Amino acid sequence: MNSILFLILRRLRRPLILIIVSFAIAIFGLTMMPGVDDKGQIWHMTVFQALYVISYTATTIGFGEVPYPFSQSQRLWTTFSIYFTVIPWFYAIGKIITLLQDTALKQAIAAERFGRAVNLLQEPFYILCSYGQSATLLAKALDHMNMRVVVIERSQSRLDELELTDSKQVIPHFCGDAMLPDNLIRAGILNPHCRGLVTLTDNDEVNLAVAIAVKLLNPKLPVVARAERDDIAANMASFGTDHIINPYTLFGDQLAMRVHALGTYLLHEWLTGITGETLLPPEPPPRGRWIVCGYGRFGKSVVANLEREHITTTIIEAKPELTGCNHCIVGSGTEAKTLKEAGIESAVGIVAGTDNDINNLSIVMTAFELNPNIFLVIRKNNSHNAALFKQFDAHITMQPTYIIAHECLAHLISPLLAQFLTLVRDQTNDWANQLISQLVSKVGEEVPETWAVTIDQQTAPAVTALMHQHITITLQTLSRQPTDREQALDIVPLMLLRNQQPMLVPAFDTPLMMGDQILFCGRPEAKTAVTTLLEHDKTLTYIVDGSETPNSLVFRWLMAKKV
Amino acid sequence: MNLEKVIFGFFIVLAMTLNFGFFLGDIDNPAHHHIYELYAAIVVSLIATVLKFGDRTHVGAILLSTSLAADLQLITAAILWASLSGKYDEQALMVYIVSLSGGALMANIISVVLLIAETISQRR
Repeated sequence: MNSILFLILRRLRRPLILIIVSFAIAIFGLTMMPGVDDKGQIWHMTVFQALYVISYTATTIGFGEVPYPFSQSQRLWTTFSIYFTVIPWFYAIGKIITLLQDTALKQAIAAERFGRAVNLLQEPFYILCSYGQSATLLAKALDHMNMRVVVIERSQSRLDELELTDSKQVIPHFCGDAMLPDNLIRAGILNPHCRGLVTLTDNDEVNLAVAIAVKLLNPKLPVVARAERDDIAANMASFGTDHIINPYTLFGDQLAMRVHALGTYLLHEWLTGITGETLLPPEPPPRGRWIVCGYGRFGKSVVANLEREHITTTIIEAKPELTGCNHCIVGSGTEAKTLKEAGIESAVGIVAGTDNDINNLSIVMTAFELNPNIFLVIRKNNSHNAALFKQFDAHITMQPTYIIAHECLAHLISPLLAQFLTLVRDQTNDWANQLISQLVSKVGEEVPETWAVTIDQQTAPAVTALMHQHITITLQTLSRQPTDREQALDIVPLMLLRNQQPMLVPAFDTPLMMGDQILFCGRPEAKTAVTTLLEHDKTLTYIVDGSETPNSLVFRWLMAKKV
Repeated sequence: MNLEKVIFGFFIVLAMTLNFGFFLGDIDNPAHHHIYELYAAIVVSLIATVLKFGDRTHVGAILLSTSLAADLQLITAAILWASLSGKYDEQALMVYIVSLSGGALMANIISVVLLIAETISQRR
C-alpha cells in the first residue's frame, strides 16, 4: 500500500502546487479589494471570508456574494479568480481520474490486494501457477476438499472464468507472470501455511523457471511441475522438483495399467478422484492387435506401453517423416480406405490419439462402422467439446487435462498417498481388487476422502497422553464411533509408515507407536470423528475402557477418592 | 547546481523564516503579529509539504512528517483566528495563536536542520 500512496502523491505534486498557488493569490487579492457594507462604509474581507468565497467559486458551486453584495473592484477580482482557480482545479481532478485509470497503478493495486489476501489466509493453501483446463479441475477438487487455493495466471480472460465459477471458498487470484520471483513471493511461497505449488502451464520453460525459483527461495516447499520435454524434466529433477508430470507418458502409462491391471488402475482413479463423484468400473481393454492413429508424443507413449504389455500395434500417421515413424500406414485415419489398409476388421482396439478432436471423433466413428466390436479409445483435447464426446460414448475417453489433475491430486492430498499408489503398482491385480471390494463395502461407491494422520504431540494429543500412561492404542481404537464405542467407523487404514517402513493395509489390531503416520480412507464424517478421537482425551478414554472421565477438578477428586 | 534543489530548499527555508517572522514579538500583543504573515506561512508550508511528496528515502519521510506537523499547527492557529476573533478576549486569543505558531516553528526548524544535515552528508 505504501508504494501506491507514494506513486499517487508523486504524480499529484504538480496539480496540488498549482491549486495551492492559485488559491493563495486569489484569496490574497480578494482581501485587498475594498467593498461597501450595508451601512455604506468601506470594509475588507478577512482571510477566512475570502477563503470561503474562493473555495466555492473555484469548485464551481457558487453561493453568491456574501456577506454583502460585492463592490465593482471585488467583482473584478472575482472574475479574474474564477478563470484563475477553476482551471487548476479541473486540471487536478482530471489528473486524479487519469491516475486511477492508469494500468500501471491498477496493476500495482491488484498486486497489493492479492498479497494482502494471501497473507490473510490463516489455513493451509496451495499455489497454482496457471489456470488452464487441468488447473481448473484441480482447483475445483481442492476447493471441494475444503483446501484453499491461490492462483497466478497470465491471461485475464481465464481469470474472468475463475471469477464466474462458484467455489466454496474465495480463491485469491492475480494476473501476472509466475516467472517473476516477486509474484511468487506475493502468492505466498514463503508463507508458513503454504503446502505446495503446482505449475501446469503449457510452456516448459515457464514451469522450469518457476520450479527453480521456488526451490531456491524455499527448498522445503513441495513442487509439482509439468514438463513435456525430457531434457526439461531431467533438468527439473536435478534440483529436486518433487514431482514432474509429463501428460503424454502419463496417458500411455495409464492405458497400459488399464490393460495390465484394471484393479490397480481403478484404485488409482478412485483414491485420487474428486470427493463425492461416483466411479463406475470400466471394461478392461481386450488383448490382441491394436491400431494407433497419430504417432506424436502421445501416440509414441501409447505404442511403447502397449508393446511392453506384448500387444502388437499398427500405426497410422499422416506425416511419418516428421514423427520418425519407420513402418507405418500413411494417412490421417479418418477415411475408411486407410483404416481398411491397417486391417481394421481384424483389430481388437483402436486409439484415436491425434491432437485434433474432430479428427479423433471422425476416426472412431468410421472405425465403429467398419468393425462394431472394436474397442474404442479416444483422446479428448479440449474440454469445450465435452458434449460431442459424451454423445459418442467411446469405451475410454482419455483427457490429458483430467489425467494431469488426478496425478496432481495424488501428490497434493498427502505425500503418503503418492507413496501408497507407487507401492500399489507392485501389487497384483487380485490384491487391488480385494482392496477395492473392502473399500466399497465400508465406504460405498462414492469417491471417498483420503487423509493422513501423524501420531505426535501436536496432531494427536489424546493418543500421546494415553500412551504415556502405558495404555496400548491400536488402529481399532481409532476406528470406533465417538458416540458409541460398540459401533465401528467406516474407515480403512490404507498404509502405516513407521521409521520410513511402509505397511500396506495394516490389520486393525496393530498397536500404534509415537511418530507413526497413517493413511486413512473413508467418508468425510468419519474424518471428523477420527480427528475428535485424536484430540480429546475424554472421548479416547471412553473408547478404550468405556468409562466416562469427569470434566471438573472436584469430580475428578471425588472419583479418585471413591476408588 | 540543480534547479529542483534550489526550489526545494527555498520553500523549506521560506516556510521557516515566515513562521519565525510571525512568531517574533510580544506573545499577547496583536499589533506584533500580522494575519498576512500567518497566511503566507501557511501557503508556503503547504507548498513545501507537497514538494516533499514522493521521496522514498528515510530522510524524505522525516522531512514530510515535520512539514505535516507544522501544517497541522499553523492551520489550527488559522481556524482559531477565523472562528474566535471578535468573540473572545483579543490578547488571550493572540497568545493561543502565537504559541501554536511557535510549535510549528519548532517543526520547521527540525526540517531545515535535516535539510542541512543531508546537504552536508552529500559527497558530490
